[in-house]
Amino acid sequence: MTTIAVEALTKRYGTVTAVDDLTFELAPGRITGFLGPNGAGKSTTMRLLLGLARPTSGRATINGCPYAELRDPLRHVGALIDPNVFHPGRSGRTALRIAARPARIPDQRVEEVLHLVGLGSAAHRRAGGYSQGMRQRLALAAALLGDPETLVLDEPANGLDPEGVHWLRGLLRRLAAEGRTVFVSSHLLAELAQTVDDVVIINQGRLVAADSMADLLEHTNASSLEDFFLGATSPDARPTHPTSTRSRSLS
Amino acid sequence: MRSLISAELLKLRSTRSAWIPLTAALAIAVIAVVANTSMAGHGANTHLSPAALPGLLRASGGQIVDGAVLLAWIVLSAGEFRHRTSVTTFLGEPRRLRIAAAKLVSAALTGVAVGLLAEALSAATSAAALSAHHVPLNWSQPGVLSAMVAVPLLAALFGVLGAGLGLLLRNTAAALGLALMWAFVVEGIIPAVTRAPGMVRWLPEAAANAVLHGASPAATTLSAGVALAVLAGYAALLAGAGAALTARREIGTATG
Repeated sequence: MTTIAVEALTKRYGTVTAVDDLTFELAPGRITGFLGPNGAGKSTTMRLLLGLARPTSGRATINGCPYAELRDPLRHVGALIDPNVFHPGRSGRTALRIAARPARIPDQRVEEVLHLVGLGSAAHRRAGGYSQGMRQRLALAAALLGDPETLVLDEPANGLDPEGVHWLRGLLRRLAAEGRTVFVSSHLLAELAQTVDDVVIINQGRLVAADSMADLLEHTNASSLEDFFLGATSPDARPTHPTSTRSRSLS
Repeated sequence: MRSLISAELLKLRSTRSAWIPLTAALAIAVIAVVANTSMAGHGANTHLSPAALPGLLRASGGQIVDGAVLLAWIVLSAGEFRHRTSVTTFLGEPRRLRIAAAKLVSAALTGVAVGLLAEALSAATSAAALSAHHVPLNWSQPGVLSAMVAVPLLAALFGVLGAGLGLLLRNTAAALGLALMWAFVVEGIIPAVTRAPGMVRWLPEAAANAVLHGASPAATTLSAGVALAVLAGYAALLAGAGAALTARREIGTATG
């Protein structure tokens, strides 16, 4: 069963093509790393997937529906796009209560996720006084509010200390083991290599590879994810063709 | 929709720069009555009489309450984009027109609530002040009920104007600056610039005054009913434009 499907997705801003005819599918129960150099179109793809931006052409769906057509989307999809999306004058607890209201998620669940991400004792403090790592944890708590079966996380390890990164790895593993789809972008290749089952790699908005980690390394003779990534996204790399030897569907 | 309105009202309660002006407006509603009744009979001010009651109710709950509700909802709706909380908001409810509608309804509800509270405080203070001056109270005289109705109604419309302007501009400073410029400069100079003095009565602030104080004997203002319709038209125009742009714009960019 496919949970996330991106089909011929294209996004242009004037003359700049941020996402170019991108196609891939993700399956539940696996962690998929979304990789690409700065400006490759990762965040734009995620924003298109979450209905925050409109595609120029193509479509992105979750469980067969565009995000905008999901009812109570927080109960199906948890998203972390940016840790700086909380009013600095509101407490972490209030910020989550506001986020929970549209899906009628009870305050008890707000307390649960605050404790889950380790912010239980700081929940009464204003988000403006949080460190980058605390804001990242708060954003992750917001993504987990609806106990969703799909998670879309843009650079969730940014700002986390080593203990936090370790904790995040365990959390993502546990969520995937529960059958959820975890789609996570990151620049931390070594960290990602330890965490993900599959990878989708893009460069200049176009698909470079979509495969399981094991098959990708086996079929390309790369020694590591970093080795493959640097080769596939360097300016000298041959563009446009997915390097994957498998189908672009990861399901 | 109720859950969205509940979220909007929680945002209001948890945003100091929004609720402080509202609290200040309520305090001023009381202070205005105390000041007006204290100065009565001094200098050129007329002595207190039973007929002073409608004027006290209008003066304490009029423009200050309207301005506070306008400011609060500019801060709340434009602030969504300034602080990027719009990302969380639209992830929770991707049908953007529903979010815009929730904001506009919440703004109107805020206006009604604050307007009614201001009038209640003003009425209680007026009753105490007039009784202290041994002036009989007549709640059934002309002007009392209309003030009690007009103040919350106007505040509701100014709330919608504020929410609509905030959604339209998405920039708190620009929206506040425009509102202040309009109130203190533009509406004053339009008649001179256009050489059409009669035009001013069709503008928002003049229309609000006509609703609150009724038509002037010299017929230089609109009737209260027409003025209310004109002001509702401005509110609908800004709300519609703000909602339409909110539905089209991209969210989560550097400006939104």
